[in-house]
Amino acid sequence: MSIRVRVNGVEQELDVDPEMPLLWALRDVLGLTGTKYGCGQALCGACSVHLDGQVVRACVTPIRRADGREVTTIEGLSPDGGHPLQRAWVELGVPQCGFCQSGQLMCAAALLAKKPQPTDADIDQSLAGNLCRCGTYTRIRAAVKKAAGVPDSK
Amino acid sequence: MIRALPVLASVVLLAGAGGCRRQPDSDAARWESLPPVDARDLRPLDVFQRIEDPAQRSRALFLETSRVYLHPRCSNCHPDGDSPYQDSGETLHNPPVTRGPEDKGVVGMECTGCHQEKNLELARVPGAPNWHVAPRSMAWVGKSPRELCEQLKDPERNGGKTLAQLVEHNAHDALVGWGWAPGSGRQPAPGTQAQFGALVAAWVATGAQCPSEEARP
Amino acid sequence: MSQQPVVFTRRSFLEGLNLSVGGLALGLVPTVSAEAAVPGVKSAPELRPNVFVHVAADGLVTIVCHRSEMGQGIRSSMPVVIADELGADMARVKVVQAVGDAVYGDQNTDGSSSIRGVFQELRRTGATARTMLVAAAAKRWKVKPAQCEAREHAVYLRDGQRSLGFGELVADAVKLPVPKAEAVQLRPLTELRRVGTELPLLDGPAYVTGKAVFGADVKLPGMLIAVVARPPVVGGRVVRFDATRALAVPGVKQVLELPAPHRPYLFQGWGGVAVLAENTWAAMRGRQALDIIWENGPNESYDSEKYRLALLESVRAPGKPARSVGDVDKALASAARVVEAEYYAPHLSHAPMEPPVALARVAGGVCEVWAPTQHPQAARTEAAKMAGLAEDKVTVNVTLLGGGFGRKSKADFVAEAVFLAKTAGVPVRVQWTREDDIRHDYYHSASAQKLSAGLDAQGKPTAWLHRTAFPAIRSTFSEDVTGPVARDLNQGVLDLALDIPNVRAEMGEALAKVRIGWLRSVNNIFHGYAVGSFMDELAHARGVDPRDNLLEVIGPARKVSVAELGVTTLPNYGAPVEAHPVDAGRLRRVIERVTEMSGWSERAKNGRTLGLAAHRSFLSYVGVVVSMTKDAVGKARVDEAWVVVDAGLVVNPDRVRAQMEGSIIFGMSLAMYGSITMKEGATEQSNFRDYRLVRIAEAPKAIHVDIVRSEEAPGGVGEPGVPPVAPAIVNALFALTGVRVRELPIIRTVPV
Repeated sequence: MSIRVRVNGVEQELDVDPEMPLLWALRDVLGLTGTKYGCGQALCGACSVHLDGQVVRACVTPIRRADGREVTTIEGLSPDGGHPLQRAWVELGVPQCGFCQSGQLMCAAALLAKKPQPTDADIDQSLAGNLCRCGTYTRIRAAVKKAAGVPDSK
Repeated sequence: MIRALPVLASVVLLAGAGGCRRQPDSDAARWESLPPVDARDLRPLDVFQRIEDPAQRSRALFLETSRVYLHPRCSNCHPDGDSPYQDSGETLHNPPVTRGPEDKGVVGMECTGCHQEKNLELARVPGAPNWHVAPRSMAWVGKSPRELCEQLKDPERNGGKTLAQLVEHNAHDALVGWGWAPGSGRQPAPGTQAQFGALVAAWVATGAQCPSEEARP
Repeated sequence: MSQQPVVFTRRSFLEGLNLSVGGLALGLVPTVSAEAAVPGVKSAPELRPNVFVHVAADGLVTIVCHRSEMGQGIRSSMPVVIADELGADMARVKVVQAVGDAVYGDQNTDGSSSIRGVFQELRRTGATARTMLVAAAAKRWKVKPAQCEAREHAVYLRDGQRSLGFGELVADAVKLPVPKAEAVQLRPLTELRRVGTELPLLDGPAYVTGKAVFGADVKLPGMLIAVVARPPVVGGRVVRFDATRALAVPGVKQVLELPAPHRPYLFQGWGGVAVLAENTWAAMRGRQALDIIWENGPNESYDSEKYRLALLESVRAPGKPARSVGDVDKALASAARVVEAEYYAPHLSHAPMEPPVALARVAGGVCEVWAPTQHPQAARTEAAKMAGLAEDKVTVNVTLLGGGFGRKSKADFVAEAVFLAKTAGVPVRVQWTREDDIRHDYYHSASAQKLSAGLDAQGKPTAWLHRTAFPAIRSTFSEDVTGPVARDLNQGVLDLALDIPNVRAEMGEALAKVRIGWLRSVNNIFHGYAVGSFMDELAHARGVDPRDNLLEVIGPARKVSVAELGVTTLPNYGAPVEAHPVDAGRLRRVIERVTEMSGWSERAKNGRTLGLAAHRSFLSYVGVVVSMTKDAVGKARVDEAWVVVDAGLVVNPDRVRAQMEGSIIFGMSLAMYGSITMKEGATEQSNFRDYRLVRIAEAPKAIHVDIVRSEEAPGGVGEPGVPPVAPAIVNALFALTGVRVRELPIIRTVPV
């Protein structure tokens, strides 16, 4: 089955198992390796991407669901790494090993698109599905607020 | 090798729920006259015919359907708070999710960000069309059968449905139907959706009576 | 460390494959093999005084990072030390990742050793290049080298009139002999301009744009991806299997059996059956379709709950002494009061966010590996064994690690990739699923401990007896290990400063039934938990404030001698006791500062519930205070945390702060939820659904970190933050609920 999907603004045609999770289509077929495999069961969020602007866990999203739709991955979040979140992430030194951060950023970007002035509770709820074993959570909160221009009281 | 995790807790819970408990009122007497049933099954419609009084029969029918409504496969997503439950109903959904303004999750954690329109075998993620959590007004967790019964008849608290619509929804809705095919070793709701739909229809047909506060299936 | 110039060739594996290398300069991997240069790459003269630093004629300075980057920020730290000694401008420095090669010395990135272990040697590599550049400039200006100074990527005449850029000096400098180590003078610490300042995160831009190259991000032409069905029980084997259904899955190309391991397990794979496919999804589906009959072998008898009881039994009886001062038995017998407690901590899994993965190609008499390995030389050794090649025919390229925590020091996943690549005749990437990772780990040891303290009539401690039993890491490497030996107790038992006249530590027997490995801070996790908890129990038993009790039991500021500790030698993390003594003063200071920062003395007035613990490990001292509250549904949560760390001289304070913040979260996960259990030899957990980690909403609202300013020799940073976290939480929980948790994880006893 041939699947047509727009990935980071580029039209792609894929001839793959329609049940193949979007994650593997991105990584193995399209070579977009910024999206990570962490659990395969939608438990860790490392594979978070946007499907028509909504966050989905690519590891459990069959590629057929993306047919005719628009996918944005970390590689497409900004043309030059200049998204306010990406800048805040670097300025505040958020990443440790960095593996989970593309998923964290994609969720945070969806949050800011909907709630430009998020509270700590908003951040905690929207990023609840993104595990970070290194433990960068407090800096993630600070960086989301910095990108949003929300003062950090701590 | 992916091994299925046994859902022991639900089995225990069901064994308790399926048994017949002594009840202090006449409904209970009627109830006890019904043949015993395995925790995994629903009593067939015809056994309720032996209860002559339609109102009593209606109450017994509701108690039978309450075994479905209050089964964790169904009640987990009719939670008493802002987060659904999982497994046997004793643990909150993991990862943590909140209902959000439209009961479909919050941004970044929408229900459909993970749940597809069908179950995923390898990923163990359950799925059905229109996966979402029931509105707060439709909370079932912690309710007695009577409370649940009154709630189901109240359009303010049943999603604005008439009784006829309630029957149709229970008998044919795909998300409701997931409760009998939950996948990945999860304990299904008792019986079948068709049996459940027939029991609900019979309950409505007998006047949609509610059992006493103490009555338990 | 070699003082001879080494001939480098530049090879570019990734560039030729059109792989994006972004901020991570993995594309240019210097090797010491005598391989021919890549055609078309012109070799200009370069100053290469050693394998760590070289200066090109255009002024570009290349610094090799020989340790693996796994989140500790070593690539942002170590090169700065070399650059500062050299006087290089970091904007004109390229950092390249070393391949696995003994020429770099020890590359095993564990033991929190990267800075503390080689700080002086690293400085010397930069200083050597500087000495040569300065000598070249002095020669040209006909002055003495002492009249010149190197800074800002140039050599300046001290009169300020003249300067020559590093690049301009290369042609002359390469003609000079490489000076001997003794002839190379290190700068005074004050001249290391960036060391100890706020440093940028080198790989930050690559991490946030998805360009950073991790283990699974390297692709080779014709590569297959393997997913392996491993025996449920370590040491088990395949009796027979049927691959018919697996081979019918579209995309599946081959099904291969892996060799079963023999005891001791070392870095061998688990064996099992591999499904090789065109993509990961097909490989996963293929594995699901395998029909395999397993034989579990002798470890099938392992039941971790029964083992827990056996370990506890073990510490109820006397064990082999490991530390002894005075007469503990007599002191306990004559004590006015004896305080006793038993503690248990379970197996843990590392669960780095990136599961193990490795790519190998075996062709044309050489083997190449790309892997997120903490230990590239061990990976090289295993790869050579599997490929049947000499080690010099094996290249191990180190990618970024998506977390390591000790798991990726083990080369088993590399061995699997090499075996499969060799057998299949094509490059193979072995991809572990999360279930594989949780079920086939080198587990952190389960442990039981018993602590007893004798108090005199005034309540002053007169005796301290610490018994500990746990299967030792050495059991993974040797058949004859029946339990810990004294050096296993180095971590938090032998090096514990105690101002008590009678002290003894004993070890109980414990046979390993699973592969035991080292997890971030290792035996300090459970020793720190038990000692930190017992200190608090002692305080409450004595009716003394926990901080005052802790300071009193540690005793006055002093460097505690080996004799006072009651040991003949102290392993001391491989460092001399003279340079890194057990310093009670430094431990006291972190306790005093962290209690000051957290408002310990005013906690009752402020309505706060705090818990305190402090621990020495990896030559550093860390004090932790946590605040706990109950949430709306009665669950206890860590509300705020304070950390004071004395790691001696610090190169990169922001990364030290990050490690301490991360240690709080890591410590919370293991204290509150962490538990791996085995039934019939098989691990019961499988994924993050049942091996729970702390999520963002559970993270404290703030983690405050203070670094003690120090010019002492550097200590470790990656691990020392972890050990005091669990006891601080357990102590705060006692203050909050009155419940003393003597068995981890806490969730078994108290809702969290």
